[in-house]
Amino acid sequence: MGIRIRVADFVQTLIAAIAVGSLYALVALGYTLVYGVLKFINFAHSDIFVLGTWTSLTAAVVITNKMGIEPEHAPWWVAMCVFLLAIAMCATFGYCIERFAYRPLRGAPRLNVLITAIGVSLLLQNVGQLPGKTVAESGGSPAATIPFGAIPRNMPALIEDRVLNETSVAEGTMAGGSKRGTVKLDQNLTIEAERQYRIEYVKPPAADAPAGAQSSIETLNVVVAEPGTIAAGEEISTQPRRNAKDVEGTKYRVLRSPLVPIRLIDVLIVTGSIGLMIGLQILVFKTKLGRAMRAVSHSVETASLMGINTNAVISFTFVLGSALAAAAAFLYPLKYPLVNQTAHGIWVLLGLKAFVAAVVGGIGNVRGAVLGGFLIALIEFFGSRYVSTELRDVYVFGLLILVLLLRPSGLLGSTAREKV
Amino acid sequence: MSTAESTTALLDVRGIGISFGGLKAVQDFSIALPPRGLYGLIGPNGAGKTTAFNLLTGVYTTQTGMTTLAGKRIETLKPHQIAAAGIARTFQNIRLFGELSVLDNVKLACHLRGKHTLLGTLLRSPRFVAQEEAMRLQAMELLSIFGLERVADESARNLPYGDQRRLEICRALATQPKVLLLDEPAAGMNPTEKVELAESIRAIRDRFGLAILLIEHDMGLVMKICERITVLDHGQTICSGTPSQVQNDPKVIEAYLGVEETAEGVVGGAV
Amino acid sequence: MKTLAQHQQDVPGKVATRWDVMLLPWVACIVVALVVHFASPVLVNEYWQNVLRRVGVFVIAAVSLNIVNGYAGQFSMGHAGFMAVGAYVAGATTYYGSLLLHGSVNDPNFYYQGIGLMLGGIGLGCVVAAIAGYLVGLPSLRLRGDYLAIVTLGFGEIIRVMLELTKGQLDNAAAVKDAGAKLLIHLNGPSGFFGIPSYANLFWIFLFVSVTCLIAYRIKYSSTGRALLSIREDEIAARSMGVDLTKYKVRAFVLAAALGGVAGGLYSHIGANPSPTDAGFQRSFDVILLVVLGGLGSISGSVLAAIVLILLPEVLREAQQYRLIIFALLLIIMMIVRPKGLFGVKEIWELDWFTGWFSGKRRERKAGAK
Repeated sequence: MGIRIRVADFVQTLIAAIAVGSLYALVALGYTLVYGVLKFINFAHSDIFVLGTWTSLTAAVVITNKMGIEPEHAPWWVAMCVFLLAIAMCATFGYCIERFAYRPLRGAPRLNVLITAIGVSLLLQNVGQLPGKTVAESGGSPAATIPFGAIPRNMPALIEDRVLNETSVAEGTMAGGSKRGTVKLDQNLTIEAERQYRIEYVKPPAADAPAGAQSSIETLNVVVAEPGTIAAGEEISTQPRRNAKDVEGTKYRVLRSPLVPIRLIDVLIVTGSIGLMIGLQILVFKTKLGRAMRAVSHSVETASLMGINTNAVISFTFVLGSALAAAAAFLYPLKYPLVNQTAHGIWVLLGLKAFVAAVVGGIGNVRGAVLGGFLIALIEFFGSRYVSTELRDVYVFGLLILVLLLRPSGLLGSTAREKV
Repeated sequence: MSTAESTTALLDVRGIGISFGGLKAVQDFSIALPPRGLYGLIGPNGAGKTTAFNLLTGVYTTQTGMTTLAGKRIETLKPHQIAAAGIARTFQNIRLFGELSVLDNVKLACHLRGKHTLLGTLLRSPRFVAQEEAMRLQAMELLSIFGLERVADESARNLPYGDQRRLEICRALATQPKVLLLDEPAAGMNPTEKVELAESIRAIRDRFGLAILLIEHDMGLVMKICERITVLDHGQTICSGTPSQVQNDPKVIEAYLGVEETAEGVVGGAV
Repeated sequence: MKTLAQHQQDVPGKVATRWDVMLLPWVACIVVALVVHFASPVLVNEYWQNVLRRVGVFVIAAVSLNIVNGYAGQFSMGHAGFMAVGAYVAGATTYYGSLLLHGSVNDPNFYYQGIGLMLGGIGLGCVVAAIAGYLVGLPSLRLRGDYLAIVTLGFGEIIRVMLELTKGQLDNAAAVKDAGAKLLIHLNGPSGFFGIPSYANLFWIFLFVSVTCLIAYRIKYSSTGRALLSIREDEIAARSMGVDLTKYKVRAFVLAAALGGVAGGLYSHIGANPSPTDAGFQRSFDVILLVVLGGLGSISGSVLAAIVLILLPEVLREAQQYRLIIFALLLIIMMIVRPKGLFGVKEIWELDWFTGWFSGKRRERKAGAK
């Protein structure tokens, strides 16, 4: 493998790690915020995240069905609506869980709160898994079913992913090949080693299509064995193998894949998450509400003596943490579209990773959670790329044990002393 | 430094201290408690008295200085090792094992002097049975000294407040300590109970041959029974001496009553 | 004032050396197992005998988890992980052992040797689970309680993931001989380990059940048990009374893991094919539920909860899909209205309402004993 490819591979792994790391960080913030004010692990937090993914999925399916459009062509505000719905749903649940399950136990032994949290987590998991209406029961049309939690589904691609830094190397009008799956370009094309090329062309609506059907942009991958120059008019094989007549006469662009593709979804995830994190920083450290949160975190009793409405602050913290989880939950299935049923072990692992991120950074420390999130993802992605893919879930656990042994208060955490 | 002093002191504390972040909770704390001594530790709220106890019992680890008990260094030991070395304590806010019976609370403390093997426990070996019986006998003996034998089977949480305080002392004694640290044993008691308590503290010292270090807010009680008193304020030892020396020390009066900023002198009378 | 050692010398040998106290309960365990073994075929059909075997396995799981979650108040959420370790070790020992020694599995001619393999496998599973417990417990038990919960949760999930990665099961003696130490990775991946003969009949199950209960009982009512309970009640006070927190927590944890391994070992021999999901969070939760609802620290509570909660879904078949929802709700409600569980730390015979039923008889017996 060439050094260029190796570097490119490394950078690609890094980008994936940063994208997923920022999602871990968002979820980890929820653990850390709640731990900060109430000093307990909100076991139900990962389930709030799952609720967010399913709310996004359901909302996306229902909205696009109602509007009768393909999700890929949904206008941007549909994605916005789905995002806000997920946040509203998770925030409501976060509030209710705190209000009805945790608040009655304020001041109870830690063990009881922990058990309650486990109960809440299981309740959410299993209620989500209840079989919904099947197609037959709801009257036949698949559009009428409301998907939620029972069986794995794919998230509709509300925001179509694309590589942002592709370069166009040739443009023109295509001539059909002599046989199926081949095309001729009207320009010379230079093929470099270790690069991929694809042809993007505009497919006009079929002759028998209903009125109003739009033309679509289709992609053909160029299949070449050797680097070199393909002369204009020479036949080249493509995938998928389209009928030569179909593509004849269409405008095309040949795009060369970059060594390090930067994907729209990744950019969206990273900028979105970092924006939220900066917002949270400002909220916690620069506003009056943030000061109240820090005060409650320091001591609930003292804060309430100082005239802070501690219950309101605690509720707000839950709402805030849940909203951050919801944001992560909206972004996550855009990258990994398969959404598993709510009680699937994969969610437990995901929650565990986010929790480990919070612990590694120093639980209760907002900046620590962000740092931990990125660190966990880096270890996970580089470990699975360069050591062993199969053990990707094991690294995180190893890291947790290591941190507990060497620095239990986390990288940025400070040791809290129990009052005697 | 006189070697004579270090040999006579049972508990010899030299310059221990701890700070939490920027707060110097206790600084340069020293005390030399002789065998059968009954010393007092006083100071305003937040002066660091309980923190000093926590340092002595290993709940916090001292950052400076050293502590020796009967010639053995103990400042780096863990709490259970310090308990084994012979320091027992009570807590300001009572910390009994609420769900356990009164008898079991005391038997637990006897635990320290026993030998426990898993095999013996599972087989109910003769040594195990004898030891359990011995623990029961000793616990009952202690309980009867404090008049608690009637409630031996009650859950500790159901005891009235005064009995809970007594049970804490009883439990501490069951570890067979050389030094007993009492953290505000008279808190929440009425004057009659306090008088009784003062008597029993002295009686305990005489009967068990212990050295006692006492934190107390009630000046009358401290002045009455303690041989020497150390006064803490803001983590610092501001005075140490006999009750009458302490009583007349201007710094002590200042610590307790504060200085009026405009006035030159100390405002206030006796402590 | 006499010291403890002096008191101990005063205890007469007649009081201390009680062969009946030492041995009779162990004999009783065998008797219980025999009674269940011979009585149940007369009383119930084969289906319910199988249910009874499952109940037995979960009684062991719950009673063992109670040692760490109940007595010591340290919340472990990875008990299923230890059970799975025991199940796979014991199951693989019996299965591959049979192949290696006899060439086939589940041959009636190999029955008694098979039983021997099962017992050896359970013993081995118990030891491996205990070692796993030590390795997981030592770092996390030094820290605050919730860390243990999360580390053990992670442990269970990691065991699950690792089991899913294992390769296909071998099915003939030659392949087993070739594989050698590599047998460890032939545990059949996500579909679970198949074909383990169900040697664990009601006798073995209930022998282990009663032995586990006896062990749990003897620990609870001993200085070790008091030390564990004191840790649960107040760690700081316990430390100051000379209880070595880490030592006792690790002890409880290792013991629970070991007995959990036994439960798992039996589980793989009752015709239930152990699969990776048996190591996961859901299964751990099943056991936690029994312990919490029965009463944190109560052996009889755990036993009762295991019996009721395993039998209930059998009776209410239609409610199967709501099982976990109902149990989760029960858990939350229990924490709000009765935080210590049904029996709390007490045993059923220590409860006032229970002794009330037998008041006359019981008090007489108690008076007679003293």
